[in-house]
Amino acid sequence: MLPSVTEWSVTMSRPTDLVQGTLDLLLLKIIAMEPQNGWAISQQLKSLSSDVLQVSDGSLYPALHKLEQQGWISAKWGISENKRRAKFYSLSRLGRHQLDRETDQWSRLSDAITQLVRLREA
Amino acid sequence: MGPIRWFFTVPLRLRSIFRRNQVERELADELRFHLEQLTDRYRARGLDDAAARLAARREMGGIEEYKEECRDTRQVGLLEDLAADLRLAGRRLARTPTFTVVALLTLALGIGATTTIFTVVDSVLLRSLAYHDPDQLHVVDGTHAPASIIAWQAENRSFDGMAGAEWWTATRTGGERGEEIEALRVSANLFPLLGVPPLLGRWLSAADDVPGRNRVIVLGYRAWQQRFAGAADVIGRTVVLDGAAHTIVGVMPASFRFAPYWATRAEFWAPLALGGRAADRTGSSLRVFGRLKPNVSVGQAAVDLVAIERRVNPEDDKVADRIRVVPLLDLVVGDVRGQLTMLLGAVVMVLLVACGNVAHLQLIRAGAREREHAVQAALGAGRGRLIRQSLLESAVIAGAGSLLGLGLAVAALRLLVAVGPSRIPRLDEIAMSGRVFAFTALITSLVAALAGVGPALVTSRAGAALVLKEGRGTSESVRRRRVRGLLVVTEFAMAMILLVGAGLLLRSFAALLRADPGFDPRGVVTLAVSVKGTPLAEPGRRAPFFYEALESLRGLPGVTAAAAINHLPIHGDNWNFSYVTEERAGQRESERSRALFRIITPGYFRALGTPLVAGRDLSDADLATGAQVVIVNEEMAEREWPGGDPIGHRITVDDRDWFTVIGVAKRIKQGPWTEATKAEMYFPYGEAAPGATGLREMLSPAYLTVVLRSAQAPDALARAAAALIATRDRGVVIADVITLDAVLAGELAVPRFYLLLLALFAGVALVLAAVGIYGVISYSVNRQTREIGLRLAMGATRGGSIARVLREGTALAGLGTLAGLVGSVLLTKRLGSLLYRVAPLDPATLIAVAAILLAVATLASLVPAIAAATVDPMKALRAE
Repeated sequence: MLPSVTEWSVTMSRPTDLVQGTLDLLLLKIIAMEPQNGWAISQQLKSLSSDVLQVSDGSLYPALHKLEQQGWISAKWGISENKRRAKFYSLSRLGRHQLDRETDQWSRLSDAITQLVRLREA
Repeated sequence: MGPIRWFFTVPLRLRSIFRRNQVERELADELRFHLEQLTDRYRARGLDDAAARLAARREMGGIEEYKEECRDTRQVGLLEDLAADLRLAGRRLARTPTFTVVALLTLALGIGATTTIFTVVDSVLLRSLAYHDPDQLHVVDGTHAPASIIAWQAENRSFDGMAGAEWWTATRTGGERGEEIEALRVSANLFPLLGVPPLLGRWLSAADDVPGRNRVIVLGYRAWQQRFAGAADVIGRTVVLDGAAHTIVGVMPASFRFAPYWATRAEFWAPLALGGRAADRTGSSLRVFGRLKPNVSVGQAAVDLVAIERRVNPEDDKVADRIRVVPLLDLVVGDVRGQLTMLLGAVVMVLLVACGNVAHLQLIRAGAREREHAVQAALGAGRGRLIRQSLLESAVIAGAGSLLGLGLAVAALRLLVAVGPSRIPRLDEIAMSGRVFAFTALITSLVAALAGVGPALVTSRAGAALVLKEGRGTSESVRRRRVRGLLVVTEFAMAMILLVGAGLLLRSFAALLRADPGFDPRGVVTLAVSVKGTPLAEPGRRAPFFYEALESLRGLPGVTAAAAINHLPIHGDNWNFSYVTEERAGQRESERSRALFRIITPGYFRALGTPLVAGRDLSDADLATGAQVVIVNEEMAEREWPGGDPIGHRITVDDRDWFTVIGVAKRIKQGPWTEATKAEMYFPYGEAAPGATGLREMLSPAYLTVVLRSAQAPDALARAAAALIATRDRGVVIADVITLDAVLAGELAVPRFYLLLLALFAGVALVLAAVGIYGVISYSVNRQTREIGLRLAMGATRGGSIARVLREGTALAGLGTLAGLVGSVLLTKRLGSLLYRVAPLDPATLIAVAAILLAVATLASLVPAIAAATVDPMKALRAE
């Protein structure tokens, strides 16, 4: 399965490396569970992936901004738990579609890879 | 996708462009929040403030670098996408320069012409008049008596104010030379009614509107600039008008013009000061203006005024027919509305033809790229993308075309204002407004859509598999052929309608040129001479002055005839008087017929070259004896004494003095060509005994237009004549020197203007349609090369091939011509008053135009047809 390349974005450069590609999926998933700010997202990413996925705190933001510019998540300013002004991200309708699509792709890809690596070597 | 996503992303992009500072601040805030949270955590682990901050910074990494990355995400996307696609479209267009230039010029022509005409329509028809709340301003159509206006002003319940105005040709003396100035006498409340404040000084006031105190004037801006060099201290200065000093009390701003549809060259306004005339119920010289109250209809207002008028004029039983309340703008634009709408319709047709050609060119290009597209589609590029490419290309062409078109429009407007006949109102106000730009933007988008989406839809619908399977050179799909055919049919239909319109105007114009004006204009020059404000105007001196002046003019070298009339036909005023014949004496005023009122000197008909069809001309003996004689025109003779001899019958205008008919003059054109000739009566110029009243008193006005027939050059003759007359008195004003040829040419200016424009549009449409059919046929031939080659190889004759191709072309053109015929039947009625002695469905014009179109179609198809016939069968079959 080719990565989904929409007609509109063929001229756009898309990250190709696996972790980068999966980062979108992870972020969308985390935001889908609950609208939250960048800090909370980074904490969840670490804890949910059991610290396997190492995303530096700073590089989280370009990724979030890209999702926002794609129209998949939308941002709103709010007050954090410790009463600070923070930017909260939530999933948009388009983001929901995108999440479904990427989830689907991911499971197919991982199934395929799983099957492949489980083949017995002769 | 696409549009839905734009709904989310476009505002974001716009925000990052236009609210850049805020977006930047928010980015900094967001990252600082994260940093503070991290710092808090390190603090909670027991680090001191400084150490915690340092650790947090270290963990977070290069903040500025991440900011930069965040900024990058904003730019990747729609705008960049669009820019990239536009660049792509530009590159594609640059690769086919012929197509690009042809399409660009075609659209520039179409859009430029449409913008030009729309600007005229906008300036003349759509823009409000420059008065306060102009939509409420109305006119009681026609002219009315002072008593009526006084009663209306006092008693009406429909208007917030009514005012009267009267033309005044003022003679200004006291300067180097006397001159005549157009002006208006107006009710003092006219200015508050219009609601335009003066630039300097004040409006006329109610106190001025009384005889004796009415020697004040308000200047128009132009008169202030030209006659007083814009002097700041002009208020309080005096001007001698008709022999009396008038004080300037105000100056109106540059944008102020009044009246907008009549007496448009009025340079100043003076009080009406009706005084003793207020009781006059019959003399009707006043135009009436009013500001209609909100929620009162013109019908209600008319009913109101009619009721009042019935009390003023109880014996007049035609009051209800006579009184109509009309919006001021309607009078200003008059029948120009229909004519300009006609032009706009015509120019939109030209645009459609242009659009059709560009669409067809796009179609050809799309066809040429079909395989490329098919490959793209097979590799996953969707139909949307193909449409988008086509649309962007046509958008680029249409956009560039509209810029070019706007430039063309600016130039064309300048030309139009320069050559446009003065009878088209508000021509001097023509300017491009926001509405014009919006209109141009709208038609540009429509053109882009029409020329872009259609072909793309047709192209991308042809399945990729099908295209890939077929080789080149097979005949095209039925659908595409139909679209092509439809384009050609539409273009020919439009061209047909335009050509029929232009053809009708051409025939009408030819008829105008041949039309007999009733006089011989060659070698006749006329001068308006006025003695107003000079000693020569005093009783007993006018007639001797004019008759002596005419006598001396006859002595000028080359002059074969010299005479005079009060108002020159066509060029001068038309005064309508009611009269009654002896046979119908006692007929009530309201039932009487009306005729044009002329005052002439003996020899007028000879000077004009107009034959008398019966009876005799005025003689010097008539003048000497003060005989009460009159000459009537054929129209009046046939109306009053049908079949009989009018000579010897008597008529009266004032029920006092009876005038005996001594001659019948041939019909003379009196106004616009399309108007029927009116009855006309010619009275002898002569002074009545002092104290005379009624008509006799009117037969010696202080002005006459002198008519000179000679073999001399008009300019030199006019100068000599003026010098000769000036020797009598320096105050005599000689104005408005014009030849009869020029008078007639002026009458032709309006029809010539519309003819030129429509002919231009029709010509452009015809050329474009010819190019269109040529393109379609040669493309079709090109596609069928193999087939034609095959047929030739199988024994078809070359003549047969030519005939086949020609049939295809003429069939399309024929269909279009037929459709255009139907359109013409529906539309040529709109030409209405522009047609002179030509029926809107003149068969000769229709046949000629259809023949021209079919001939053009045949010629345009002949070139590709011959190319088809010269195909080498072997080569054609071998190719691919």
